[in-house]
Amino acid sequence: MVSRSMTKVAPSVLLLALLAGAAAAQDQPPPQQQVKIGFVEIENDPRYEPLRAYERLVLKRRERPITGAQVGIDEAAALARVLHTDFVLDRIVAKSADDAATYVRAALEAGTHFFLLDAPAEAYRPMAAAVRGRDALVFNVSEPDDSLRRELCAAEFVHLYPSRAQLTDGLVQFVVSRKWRDLLVLEGPAPGDAASAAAFMCSAQKFGARIVAAQHFKPGTDPRDREQNDPALLSAVNHDFDAAFVADEAFDFARTVPYHLARPRPVMGSIDLEPVAWHWTWERNGGPQLNSRFERRSGGRHMEGPDFAAWLAVKMIVQSAMRTRSVAFASQRDFILGDSSFDGYKGLAVSVRPWDHQLRQAIQLAAPYEVVASAPIEGFLHRTNELDTLGDDEPESPCHLNK
Amino acid sequence: MRRLVLALLPILACAPAGAKDTGRIFVSNEKTNNIIVIDPNTYKVVGDVKVSRRPRDMHFDAAHEKLYIACGDDDVIDILDVATLRVVGKLKTGPSPEAFAMDEKRRRIYVSQEEGSSLAIIDIEQNTIVREVPTGAEPEGVLISEDGKIVYVTSEEGDLLHAIDADTGAVSRDVVVGSRPRRLAATPDGKDLWVTAELAGQVDIVDRGKFVVTDRIGFLPPGMRKADVTPVGLAMTKDGKTAYVTLGHAAHVAVVDVPTRKVVAYILVGKRAWGITLSADEKTLYVANGLGDDITIIDTKTRKAKVSVPAGRVPYGIAVDD
Repeated sequence: MVSRSMTKVAPSVLLLALLAGAAAAQDQPPPQQQVKIGFVEIENDPRYEPLRAYERLVLKRRERPITGAQVGIDEAAALARVLHTDFVLDRIVAKSADDAATYVRAALEAGTHFFLLDAPAEAYRPMAAAVRGRDALVFNVSEPDDSLRRELCAAEFVHLYPSRAQLTDGLVQFVVSRKWRDLLVLEGPAPGDAASAAAFMCSAQKFGARIVAAQHFKPGTDPRDREQNDPALLSAVNHDFDAAFVADEAFDFARTVPYHLARPRPVMGSIDLEPVAWHWTWERNGGPQLNSRFERRSGGRHMEGPDFAAWLAVKMIVQSAMRTRSVAFASQRDFILGDSSFDGYKGLAVSVRPWDHQLRQAIQLAAPYEVVASAPIEGFLHRTNELDTLGDDEPESPCHLNK
Repeated sequence: MRRLVLALLPILACAPAGAKDTGRIFVSNEKTNNIIVIDPNTYKVVGDVKVSRRPRDMHFDAAHEKLYIACGDDDVIDILDVATLRVVGKLKTGPSPEAFAMDEKRRRIYVSQEEGSSLAIIDIEQNTIVREVPTGAEPEGVLISEDGKIVYVTSEEGDLLHAIDADTGAVSRDVVVGSRPRRLAATPDGKDLWVTAELAGQVDIVDRGKFVVTDRIGFLPPGMRKADVTPVGLAMTKDGKTAYVTLGHAAHVAVVDVPTRKVVAYILVGKRAWGITLSADEKTLYVANGLGDDITIIDTKTRKAKVSVPAGRVPYGIAVDD
């Protein structure tokens, strides 16, 4: 208790001193500075292709999260005056993962230190090589792949988008809190489906739920494959189950699961109850204000997880300049990666885990029109920070950037 | 109305209908778009007035004849006639008015426009927006200096307190305060501003002369978690000795001794306590419990809740006609 309150006092005393100093110097305004933020995305990223039914029906349009970053820049406008600093977003559309790494190398030479990376998992290895040991922070704003946090483990990355482990931990905390302990898994053919199902099964083990069956489905209408493409037959297993988890990135199968299971059971994962970083119906902690700023900026689109991560990345960069009263990269980086916490509009303050640079954050469990619950669910306790009940805690993580 | 007057007769034997100082309690409800009026003695709801959508901050004029109500979803300030409980006028604002302060001498209202990221200066007589001053995002608390020359506004998202010149409409000074600054109170000696910083879980004290943060007060009611301590509402006694701070999700009001800046007591209230108002005699404290759909009425002497009274859905603010 004592050492905790001590660490709380020290930074605020420092801040008071900084603020007083800044006021004294206010008579002669210093020249306006600029902080450039690169927003790097990859052309034809399959994650942003519209999700279609087998015919031409578009089920979901998926938009790039740059609007989230723009909202963050908008919010910094008033601070630009106070900090004598302009924050500028520079959007780069790379042809490939290698092209993205080349761009970042060149931008580093030209003095840009902060990058938002909106790219699939395979872009991260070349990027890690490009920035290793350099004065760069690369914010992952859209990729949940656990291996980026575990095996790749790069000090220059900050993962603001939740890992798969965080997402499924949040979901399983909820089902366990409802005493839905027996779970059915329906896993699709995409690599992401396998990763998602694996994460879900790890979460089930972590929180004491039981997987009664893990079924592989094969999307299609071929009657010879009916054992694999009919949700009713796939769910006709010998054990009863309390809920079904569907892992289906393509979404066309997932949408057929609700109301078609052999038993009347809730569905979660890719449809119905989805674990997300952000949902447009979040009504607390300033959520409605952020959502409406986003919807205005995007022309009416609902804010989603990657938009949230991109918004937060800009906010963290701005906050680091504001709270340290400096745009020296080293002090901004130390602030972001240090003990600082940030207002993520999700209740418990968000912060960066020192071991794998994953953002600690609440996971929202969203039905189509309602955030049903926000994990960590009450009752899941942790010795230091309840947000660390979600995802890889320090003892489990193979990544030790703080050691 | 008639029933209300009759009910009050035994207590205020000589008071004509619609008299001032009725002690009636007005509560704005964000989700039910109404103002409910509560009798101060029986705690019964004696009036229920439909107003524009999402009513939030409320202030009486000096004579307590009119109650001004900022209505966030209709971009207006409704004017309620206190005697008849009828909406008799509307002042146009920009997007999503939240909190405001009135300068009756200049016949002006200064209102924070949450979604417009601006402060509107409204001429009450002309019903026009004289000027819109850009602020940090999500402006909220508004306070006018004693001489009417400076308007202070917080920006929730920008972590800023702005000082705005009331004549020119220019931001004259900014100070960075704790995370998510919400509402303001001025010490009667004119020296300090108290600012609640919701996510920092503290009150920042800003020296008005130097315009820097000089001190901070933290809170932690027994048995509560630090993360739930989200201070929002603020009320200070006229002698400048005692301040009351609502702690949001921590479901308590903190009582602060202003000279020593020490928390001297915590009073249990309802869910997500934000709005707070002191009675004129400062013997009673009213707290709106936003997620409890009720208000808590506190005896300031015993520092205990006397009663909780159901309000509408998501009560925001309380104004007392006394």
